[in-house]
Amino acid sequence: MWLVLCSSNDISGHWVYEGLKSRGLDPVEMVFAEVLPFSLSFEHRVGVGGVSARITLSDGRVIDSREVRGAINRLLAVPSTHLTGLPDGEYAAQEFSAFFLSWMYTLPEPILNRATPQGLCGQWRHPSEWVVLAANAGLRAPLYRHSSHDQINEAFAERRLFPSGTPTRTLIVAAGKVRGADAPDSIREGCVRLSEIAETSLLGIEFVSEGPDEWVFAGASPLPDLRYGGHELLDHLAFTLRGNIEANPPQDPSADAAEPGNAGRSFLATAAL
Amino acid sequence: MILLCGIPSEPPLALVREALDEMSEPYVLFNQRQFPATEMSFEVTGGKVTGELRINGAGYRLDDFSGVYVRLMDDRMLPELKAEPPDSPLRLYCRALHDTLMRWCEIAPTRVVNRAAPMGSNSSKPYQTQLIRQYGFEAPESLVTNEADLVRDFRRSHKAVIYKSMSGVRSIVQTMTDADEERLELIRWCPTQFQEFVEGFNVRVHVIGAGLYATAARTEATDYRYAYRQVGDAAELTEFDLPDEMREKCVILAKGLGLAFAGIDLKLTPDGRVFCFEVNPCPAYSYYQANTGQPIATGLAKYLAGFGEVMVN
Repeated sequence: MWLVLCSSNDISGHWVYEGLKSRGLDPVEMVFAEVLPFSLSFEHRVGVGGVSARITLSDGRVIDSREVRGAINRLLAVPSTHLTGLPDGEYAAQEFSAFFLSWMYTLPEPILNRATPQGLCGQWRHPSEWVVLAANAGLRAPLYRHSSHDQINEAFAERRLFPSGTPTRTLIVAAGKVRGADAPDSIREGCVRLSEIAETSLLGIEFVSEGPDEWVFAGASPLPDLRYGGHELLDHLAFTLRGNIEANPPQDPSADAAEPGNAGRSFLATAAL
Repeated sequence: MILLCGIPSEPPLALVREALDEMSEPYVLFNQRQFPATEMSFEVTGGKVTGELRINGAGYRLDDFSGVYVRLMDDRMLPELKAEPPDSPLRLYCRALHDTLMRWCEIAPTRVVNRAAPMGSNSSKPYQTQLIRQYGFEAPESLVTNEADLVRDFRRSHKAVIYKSMSGVRSIVQTMTDADEERLELIRWCPTQFQEFVEGFNVRVHVIGAGLYATAARTEATDYRYAYRQVGDAAELTEFDLPDEMREKCVILAKGLGLAFAGIDLKLTPDGRVFCFEVNPCPAYSYYQANTGQPIATGLAKYLAGFGEVMVN
């Protein structure tokens, strides 16, 4: 069994689920964050004999970590609003959160991305960390300034490296391969290095163009819109989830027409921050 | 120069300060309660981090700090903000200052005890246990479930079972009783952590860089931290000579978790087994130092001052 873990409104999650199915992964189960806290049964064991976790969802499906062969993990958070206002509700919300982090860590490789305490779908990082890591990866990063007099509401992630609306190009790194916008080799290599040093195997990286060959790092996310990677990304994800890592995963030309959001080989990933 | 951050009277911070004074090591104290008189800024260019901290008008280059000890209380709870509305300029400034400090600590190219990200593993005990197992420690048999029948079976298969929180919320470890079993159906609302009770005595190991201090805690209580409440007598704390192999494993574990300073909770059984229960990323070591005289604060001060190997970046 392979898993696609995401929110019910995650279009990328739906897209990758359909894409993996069309590439022959069977069975692929899509599990929504919204149903997880309402599961019928949780059983998670840790000890000398090993680690296991078994969840029975409210629709009867059973997710047993020992039967999972890999996962695309796009869980931003597991909702806990149903606990708000209840006696010990805040405590229970933290217990649920602790449970799901541990549960997700029991899932075997390959998993893109592995859960971390800083984010269920991979480590969320502040722009100040990303610019350091990007520079260490050999990417050109903009000057970053931070002051106690800044009037920026960090709780709503308003801090950006470039003003909102600045056009960007997006590359997706997945298990060491870069997909998405056409980019010079040096940029692609830098993206792979960034994915490695950020320990985030599935990473969306945005760039702002400051000239024909001037790619400036503009941000990164462990929860990118995977559609920027097109069918080649789906091919690579399917290949990786089967447990194979090689330079040139096989292509499935018949998959092109069936994939929503796939603009083919000339796909130029552009967006606005 | 060393930067200390927190409330000066809080014992762990106060003890490090005393140790630095004894060593004649220069330090700067950021007293959270004096946040209005503090300013901070930094910038990142080409991966290099520079900036300045100003306290009461005196400026300090961030590059000059060789070590940082972060022992902050929740800034939203500072007494100075008690009467402030949620969006008052003073409250917002306090938050922005602390955010600037914490963001810098995450990327500062210096010894930070401890950075926030690696401290996160303690927010989920079973998750952290999975990490601990990778470093060769035994972990007690644990069951997290919302199924009462599974817990009954688990209890029958062990001599004694305890229960405790699995999140970062502190709880008092309790031994499961027949009365608890009668109300077991309540767990169907929230998965709960149960664990085999391990016989033996507790050892708290404070790892600082490549050094450590081990303290044995002997008591009849289930949770030695609350021994007086549970059995009417405080736990007996004594310095403990940890075997070399175990010392090395503890140092490697702390390093692996990205913690320059860690409080590792072990239990040594009569038959020679060593269980690791958890790793505290922000240990209140003063309790152990006060009871044993172990110079933990001095070890911490030396690490901050640049002695010994840098264990984590």
